[in-house]
Amino acid sequence: MDSDYEIVDAYDGDSAEDYFSGGDTDMDEGDSIGGFEEDEDDGDNAGYEYGYASDEGSEKTYTVLRESDIRQRQEESISHVSSVLSISRVAASVLLCHYKWNVSQLHDEWFADEERVRRSVGLLSKSVILFPNDSEMTCGICFDSYPRDQIHSAACGHPYCTTCWKGYITTAINDGPGCLLLRCPDPACCAAVGQDMILKLASDEDREKYSRYFVRSYIVDKKKTKWCPAPDCENAVEFELGSNVYDVTCLCSHPFCWNCTEEAHRPVDCSTVAKWILKNSAESENMNWILANSKPCPKCKRPIEKNQGCMHMSCTPPCKFEFCWLCLGAWSDHGERTGGFYACNRYEAGKQEGLYDEAEKRREMAKNSLERYTHYYERWASNQTSRQKSIADLHQMQTVHLEKLSDKLKEPESQLKFIIEAWQQIIECRRVLKWTYAYGYYLPEHETAKKQLFEYSQGEAEAALERLHQCAEKELLVFLDDGVFDINVTPDFGTFRPKLAQLTRVTCSYFENLVRALENGLSEVDSQAASSTSVKNGGAKGKGGKGKGSSRTGRAVARNIDDSDRWNCDRCTYANPDSSSLCQMCHHQR
Amino acid sequence: MTSSSTQSRKVLSKIAQNRLQKELAEWQLNPPPGLKHKITDNLQRWVIDVSGAPGTLYANETYQLQVDFPEHYPMEAPQVIFVPPAPLHPHIYSNGHICLDILYDSWSPAMTVNSICISILSMLSSSTSKQRPPDNDRYVKNCRNGRSPKETRWWFHDDKA
Ligand SMILES: [Zn+2]
Ligand SMILES: [Zn+2]
Ligand SMILES: [Zn+2]
Ligand SMILES: [Zn+2]
Ligand SMILES: [Zn+2]
Ligand SMILES: [Zn+2]
Ligand SMILES: [Zn+2]
Repeated sequence: MDSDYEIVDAYDGDSAEDYFSGGDTDMDEGDSIGGFEEDEDDGDNAGYEYGYASDEGSEKTYTVLRESDIRQRQEESISHVSSVLSISRVAASVLLCHYKWNVSQLHDEWFADEERVRRSVGLLSKSVILFPNDSEMTCGICFDSYPRDQIHSAACGHPYCTTCWKGYITTAINDGPGCLLLRCPDPACCAAVGQDMILKLASDEDREKYSRYFVRSYIVDKKKTKWCPAPDCENAVEFELGSNVYDVTCLCSHPFCWNCTEEAHRPVDCSTVAKWILKNSAESENMNWILANSKPCPKCKRPIEKNQGCMHMSCTPPCKFEFCWLCLGAWSDHGERTGGFYACNRYEAGKQEGLYDEAEKRREMAKNSLERYTHYYERWASNQTSRQKSIADLHQMQTVHLEKLSDKLKEPESQLKFIIEAWQQIIECRRVLKWTYAYGYYLPEHETAKKQLFEYSQGEAEAALERLHQCAEKELLVFLDDGVFDINVTPDFGTFRPKLAQLTRVTCSYFENLVRALENGLSEVDSQAASSTSVKNGGAKGKGGKGKGSSRTGRAVARNIDDSDRWNCDRCTYANPDSSSLCQMCHHQR
Repeated sequence: MTSSSTQSRKVLSKIAQNRLQKELAEWQLNPPPGLKHKITDNLQRWVIDVSGAPGTLYANETYQLQVDFPEHYPMEAPQVIFVPPAPLHPHIYSNGHICLDILYDSWSPAMTVNSICISILSMLSSSTSKQRPPDNDRYVKNCRNGRSPKETRWWFHDDKA
């Protein structure tokens, strides 16, 4: 068995597949690109919680098992089997290792034919060799003679000396997890070597290895439990089958998708992720240049190295040109909302059409498919890199800066929690934003309305995140500098605090909207086109509604229609109560 | 496992020497039929003449087995190959490598040179056709730079070998 997981099909039939193959299925019939069907009756309280907030009481669909939890379960299984089958605990663990901890299968087979089970796992009911009464015995490996007390045997009685057993056991343990099913050294004998004997004779180091294999053996074959894929993490995650939100966060803080064990990728579904990863590996040679961390400054052409997380770059003096790392356009076109649309996320196919002659146009089209991919890939990869950088920054903040800052400001660290929260938000948003680029790549060009809505929501979210990231990364620097600190800084900090906290909130809200929109398959577009009265009773249902899961009442849609006493901010789309004239999220005028 | 067939072999451990001396003494006391150990003063490499059993495809033929012992023999299996020309057999490659599970995964320290040789003899005796394994050329080519058969991932043919 080499497949350690299987993809649970979260979609109805093959609709997602049809959709992605770029065929003729249109968006209404395809189930959803977002894969996860919103459960209609889980209502508004089951809001999507961003990563780090997940321990706040909302019902979890999974349990993280630490090593101690697993050991405890193993103990319970051993006790249970040992009492039900009336055998020793050592024998019970031999059986459980053979039966991969499947207690009920073990019971069934044992009670059907105990002798057969005993024979196959090597639990002999009586020894095949009777100890002679001699005071000395010959070891079957080194052929030396030893006094009886230095000779040991498994249940079969084949005699080996302490030294040879030790050698046998250490060799087996160092050969791998097969040591859990160790048998008597005699080639014709199948007697199992019990854990008691192994633990008694193994060195400390080997005992440690053995017990690691023993714990790891617990889950490998279980349908509902998987190991956390983070390197060095020993935890497992047990999943509530039936739930279709697969993002889980291990206690080691690694977020991953339980279904496909890739890094968590909500709101994008597993098959899109798998396709995207495959695509990336196929294109990786072409893409190598993109990963290079240096690009020429678009103005003065000197190489600029990106060593910060946010995409706002400044060339070194005297140039000081401020530009966007992704598109190399001037930052002034991006960061502030003067130009209306934040355009860096939008891939404009066939731009400058009409400027080319025919031959050049054809060449352009051939180049186009790679260019299009490049556009999405570069943004996907940059957000990935940026997320890694942010994780490091957060760590640095928690381990070094926070304490210093708290000293300088004479404020307890708990008062500075907003900085940590900002970084946690950045990390989570970089993850979401990254995956929306895979989503965007597979969104067909001809779905114009959806594409526009997607790019709009993505652009808004992205712009908010860049503001937040820049504030957390650059504006905070002033206060971290060891040299220039005096009491005068405090007032500045007084304005920094609410600014960062608010940017965090606003960004969170934008991303919630983005995630919601994508998980609804951008159905807002359909319903806005449809007549507004039909929406409430299933008007948002796809035309091809085939049974369960295909009807979907987008929360965003419902809010547009039903909450007549609310207004949607046209900057951030937050639904504000009628009573307020300023957006509660972004303070935009109604 | 990085033990390679010829160069940089570690010397035998005390335990290995002790055990090999016992095996040798036993061999000389009760020489197994069809097998002849060539006396050398090298305890770490045994060369054994194997004579095909009468009434089998290999009757009247003699081949040479070369057995090299690792530092931690018998916890680790010895490396056993036929010195070319190797017998024509469906589980023996022309470079002398032998596809036999007890030489690799199924090795047990309770086995001896004697028991290995007897297994090989019976593998020869039970053969019904004199031919090379189907993948002989490919395998031998892959072994050209002196790879030990112990570094091969063997997939054991499931007939009686
Ligand atoms: Zn011994
Ligand atoms: Zn035994
Ligand atoms: Zn983990
Ligand atoms: Zn997944
Ligand atoms: Zn410049
Ligand atoms: Zn840009
Ligand atoms: Zn707003």
